[in-house]
Amino acid sequence: MAVEGKRLADHGLRSERVLWVGKGPGVFEQEVDNLEQRVGLTTLAKAVAWAQTKSMWPDTFGLACCAIEMMSIVSSRYDIARFGMEAFRASPRQADLLIVSGRVVHKMAAPLRQIYDQMLEPKWVIAMGACASSGGMFNNYTTLQGVDKIVPVDIHVPGCPPRPEGLMEGILRLHEKVLAGVPPAYEIRGVAE
Amino acid sequence: MTLAGTPGLVEMKVDHGETTLVVDPARLVEACTYLRDDEGFDFLSDISSVDYLGWSDEPVAGYWGGPSSGASAGRDLNTPGTWGLARKPAPKPKRFAVNLHLLSVRSGAREAPRVRVQVWVDDGETVPSVVSVWPTADWQEREVWDMMGIRFAGHPDLTRILMDDDWEGFPLRKDYPIGGEPVRFSGEE
Amino acid sequence: MAVAPEKRRGSIYEGSRIPQPIPSVLQVPEALRKADDILEVNFGPNHPSTHGVLRLIVELDGERVVGLRAVVGYLHTGFEKSMESKTWWKAIPYAPRMDYLAFQANELAFVLAIEKLLGIEVPPKATWMRMLLTELNRVHSHLVWLGTSALELGAISPFWYTFRERDRVLDLFEMVTGVRMHTRYFQVGGLAEDIPRGFFDECRKFCEIMPGAVDQYEQLLTQNEIWLKRTKGVGLLSAEDAIAMGQSGPVLRGSGVDWDLRRAQPYLAYDQVDFDVPVYYNGDVWDRYKVHMDEMRESTRIVAQALEGMPGGPWIADDRKVVLPPREELHTSMETLIHHFKLVTEGFRVPEGEVYVTIESPRGEFGCYLCSDGGPRPWRVRFRTPSFIALQATATLMTDALVADMIAAVGSLDTVMGECDR
Repeated sequence: MAVEGKRLADHGLRSERVLWVGKGPGVFEQEVDNLEQRVGLTTLAKAVAWAQTKSMWPDTFGLACCAIEMMSIVSSRYDIARFGMEAFRASPRQADLLIVSGRVVHKMAAPLRQIYDQMLEPKWVIAMGACASSGGMFNNYTTLQGVDKIVPVDIHVPGCPPRPEGLMEGILRLHEKVLAGVPPAYEIRGVAE
Repeated sequence: MTLAGTPGLVEMKVDHGETTLVVDPARLVEACTYLRDDEGFDFLSDISSVDYLGWSDEPVAGYWGGPSSGASAGRDLNTPGTWGLARKPAPKPKRFAVNLHLLSVRSGAREAPRVRVQVWVDDGETVPSVVSVWPTADWQEREVWDMMGIRFAGHPDLTRILMDDDWEGFPLRKDYPIGGEPVRFSGEE
Repeated sequence: MAVAPEKRRGSIYEGSRIPQPIPSVLQVPEALRKADDILEVNFGPNHPSTHGVLRLIVELDGERVVGLRAVVGYLHTGFEKSMESKTWWKAIPYAPRMDYLAFQANELAFVLAIEKLLGIEVPPKATWMRMLLTELNRVHSHLVWLGTSALELGAISPFWYTFRERDRVLDLFEMVTGVRMHTRYFQVGGLAEDIPRGFFDECRKFCEIMPGAVDQYEQLLTQNEIWLKRTKGVGLLSAEDAIAMGQSGPVLRGSGVDWDLRRAQPYLAYDQVDFDVPVYYNGDVWDRYKVHMDEMRESTRIVAQALEGMPGGPWIADDRKVVLPPREELHTSMETLIHHFKLVTEGFRVPEGEVYVTIESPRGEFGCYLCSDGGPRPWRVRFRTPSFIALQATATLMTDALVADMIAAVGSLDTVMGECDR
């Protein structure tokens, strides 16, 4: 496993958030490692990735409580405009990032998939909160146990609801993934079982 | 308040400060019209339905006894016949209960009389719709139909409201499973 | 006095506008359908201007709305069924996630219902603190409503101003409970923890700046010509129709009915504080907006009075069958250990019975119908949520209206889809 012995910083990632030094590589690091060839990006690809990260417009897909915390990252205290993302697009055709914020139920699954299909590539998905990541506290007949059953997800953000800082951590990790050359989720994995 | 004069009244009970009028389902609309026009209950707060399937099957060890359930006299460990003894709760007349919670807004502040109208039905029986009495009953009855499967006769548009239109089954019934998936923990292999 | 006198009615209509035969559906008249070109548009579940996942199927004749039907259920999470399978304690965190803007109001109703069935006495400090937090939550809910409703109508600036204060309210919640939203702080019997030191000073500071902040929002909107044009005379609902359609809260008070549960059936300590209930008589979006603004001021007044009048004492009831014992006693007393163990593993039991408890949530009358079989789990929990009822009235509001008015009217109903669909 070539990722042992190599720090994330060697892959070009700037964050030193890996607190558990002795722990084995997580999914995040493994993805970066599996695509070692792509880490050596050409200058043009690097420039494109940089541009994508600096202006990744989210889609207004607020469903439930997490949506309120998603709105609060637009507000002045947690200001997501400093990352170029304050333009929440209502039309999926104009959006890059789908932040699924809230519980997805069976009735909403079809519209969610439709919105995802209407987005143009490259597109990323953040499953915000416990309900979008895994169904949360709702393990019942109507709630989808994780939105990755219908759309491929790049980043899962834990919390119920995650603090705005938590969501921003997720967004920044996504930026770092893109900068490191990791392709969006639909290229490397499909939907979960 | 002459609630005892409600047409179709089967029983009137008072518990926890709340008055419950058990009404014959066939005369529900008549009773509700009386309550709205003559007693002043112009506001329908809520229509809830309860499924009592399995209510008296298993003995439940809990707080029993005491003249008014819930008073601390009924929860004294040392009082015989209360906490600890497993008993079955008193059986209910039929499987489903539909409760209409009424409120009198026109009475003005500082009074707020409330009453609960209760009808008992079995699976397959219909309850007359009170949409003609309080238009707000529209969606409430649709929800009771969707979740419990109790039909309301005379409702203009009894379709599913919360579940998908082609959903089968009535989720809030006691014989409908909770659903969901078994949770896999990462320690298990 | 429950209904507005005739002479004060401005733009309200006469008679009833509740559509027939289905009260919640506006149907296109057949003659119009044949004569004109009706366009059916789907304001789908994913829309920036419908608060959450609401779907409106609208039929348009040009810009006029001639047919309207609301479809809900896109957020039906099965709260009531989930709560039936959890013990009483474990069911409490489900409640705040329904109406995710007024989360503590939901918790309050559920916990009050359990306490009513149990017959337990809540100490006054817990009662006053619950009142304080619920009023702060009312301010929070109205702030988010104002920010998002103004945003939908094109007034983008108030969003940042209201969310600035909203973050201050959430800071207060975080100080007391540890979390910003969905604070599971109301426990059966009182509060989960004691009030931390430093909270009262911070809360006092908040009460000092809040009226000035509401003045700022009013400065942006109240005399703004565009705001006035878009909200005055729009989304009319008369008092009779409001009561017939089961409306409550700001919608009812904006239509001239002087009805507030905090005054009509005082719960917690509302009869010991002094506050006014704003009532406006025109029944349009403007009036509901004014009710919200005035309610924010009144809530701040209540919070300030609660700070001054907060009694000392225990923060939770002393009933060891229901409430966890203090941790220091666990080292010395065997009964305490057993009680702690039983409460944590099995939970307490609530006597058999049914209750219906209603409170005045920021959206209106929020009711919790609880049925217990004497065991450790609820037999049936049912929440009467004002948003579900409010959305039925969209058809009544939209008679003779334009598409742009629809956004204003639906926004003014202050609906939260989580609570509507449960």
